[in-house]
Amino acid sequence: MTATWRKVRTLFATQFAEMTEFRAEIVIWMLSGTLSLVMMLVWMAQAGAAPGGQIGGYSPAEFATYFLSTWLISQLMVVWVSWELDLDIRQGTLSPKLLRPLDPLWMWYASHLAERVVRFPLLIGLVALFAWLAGARFTTDPTAYLAALGLAFLGFCARFLWEYCLGLLAFWTESSTSFQEVVWLVYAALGGMFAPLAFYPEWVQRVAVWTPFPYMLGLPAQLLAGKATLGDAGRGALVLLAWLVVFWGLRLFVWRRGLRKYGAVGA
Amino acid sequence: MTRYLRLIRIFTGATLAAQLEYRANFVGAVLASLGEVGVALLGIAVLFGQPGTTSVGGWSFHEALLVVGLFTLTEGFISVFIQPNLSKIAEAVRTGSMDFTLLKPIDAQFGVSTRNMNVLRVTDLLIGLGLTVYAASHLTVTPLGVLGAAALYVSALVIVYCIWLVLSTTAFWFVKTQNVTELFNGVFGAARFPVTAFPLPVRAFLTFVVPVAFITTVPAQALTGELTPALAVASPLVAAVFFVGARLFWLKAVGSYTSASS
Repeated sequence: MTATWRKVRTLFATQFAEMTEFRAEIVIWMLSGTLSLVMMLVWMAQAGAAPGGQIGGYSPAEFATYFLSTWLISQLMVVWVSWELDLDIRQGTLSPKLLRPLDPLWMWYASHLAERVVRFPLLIGLVALFAWLAGARFTTDPTAYLAALGLAFLGFCARFLWEYCLGLLAFWTESSTSFQEVVWLVYAALGGMFAPLAFYPEWVQRVAVWTPFPYMLGLPAQLLAGKATLGDAGRGALVLLAWLVVFWGLRLFVWRRGLRKYGAVGA
Repeated sequence: MTRYLRLIRIFTGATLAAQLEYRANFVGAVLASLGEVGVALLGIAVLFGQPGTTSVGGWSFHEALLVVGLFTLTEGFISVFIQPNLSKIAEAVRTGSMDFTLLKPIDAQFGVSTRNMNVLRVTDLLIGLGLTVYAASHLTVTPLGVLGAAALYVSALVIVYCIWLVLSTTAFWFVKTQNVTELFNGVFGAARFPVTAFPLPVRAFLTFVVPVAFITTVPAQALTGELTPALAVASPLVAAVFFVGARLFWLKAVGSYTSASS
């Protein structure tokens, strides 16, 4: 147990030290993920121009709240592990990592978590600034924040695992990172980055409830906006947990198949 | 001049030969193109999908689609011609291989801007062109409008090139520049929508600070015949100013370059 604990501490400490070096870059990365913000501005203008000053029951201020929340949550869910895997597999730098007495997954997982710790305060500052500029209002219920953070954490784990699987495709194909773009699109669409899920056609909503996406992005955002209940959060958490099990199994399967293939090339 | 044209032909041949070796990458490039156009299309599809919504920022569905088409075309232009070249500047400065470019008896800016090409992303250009033509076929378009739009779109491409060049040239002082171009991509994402779809202060920002409005909205307006003369004149003017500015900036950067070894 102590050995594991030491590993965890060392991993986290080194990754945290590395990430604090990237402070300036982290701000730039945050600002370059603008889709939510662009959609927010467009919807706000649309609602402002609409008769009655609202669309689908959302006033400009409510759109601001929703989209800033999705922006905040999506920032907590940024994952770049598939790029690292792609590079490591292609250039062979995966090999030294395989020699360590630890699945390389944990190193990357720790590095993402450490980055989140550096990112969070910067993120809160930016959200506060944007909220002030756009007139967004968040819920005052502290349990909603806890639930949203919990869902975001589960969502991050799910996204990390599926991106990991996509990155592992680099064992077989040159273009693993472009699969990632298409999957990102599904995640952004069904997660609710273009609009709250209720704005989508009926059949899309019926499909979406079976996927993990609405529970990792749209639901936490609705919690922060005070438009979802804790019951919703609980149901969402269960769905996400089920998907986590699926992704974990998938990752193990792909990893084992891939390593065999990798060994065949390197040896 | 003919020498430069011949060089472009040689560069294109070399880069084509190098890229067509990796045919499997083509699948990936198509997927990536679909992803990018998908984001833009979904964005306006959901907006127009709302009951009672017939226009966004005063633009009808097909007019907005025109903007999406031009946006995709511009993304294609960036990923086929601009990004594969200019993103290498930082690497060249860091490793010192910029020396070779500067020593060659051709203009160095020409050298760094034309040497490479990402042929695989031609799909973006095709999708963008297809969308633009499809959208235009549902609108009343005059030959004069097409001509005007084409001219303004050339200005737009010059503006995009210049912004990228300036951002990448900063590599001569700050070694890492990929982040800065990412930042531009973030702002450029707003060009998926007509600039009138944004609240007024943002519209001003997208016109005067980062001239995203000139890249997709203005050529689209020329096509639909809604362009004001002031904007029609402003776009080439902005392009010319940017071009001279970028050129001067490049020359200054090269002047201060001391090679990696000294």
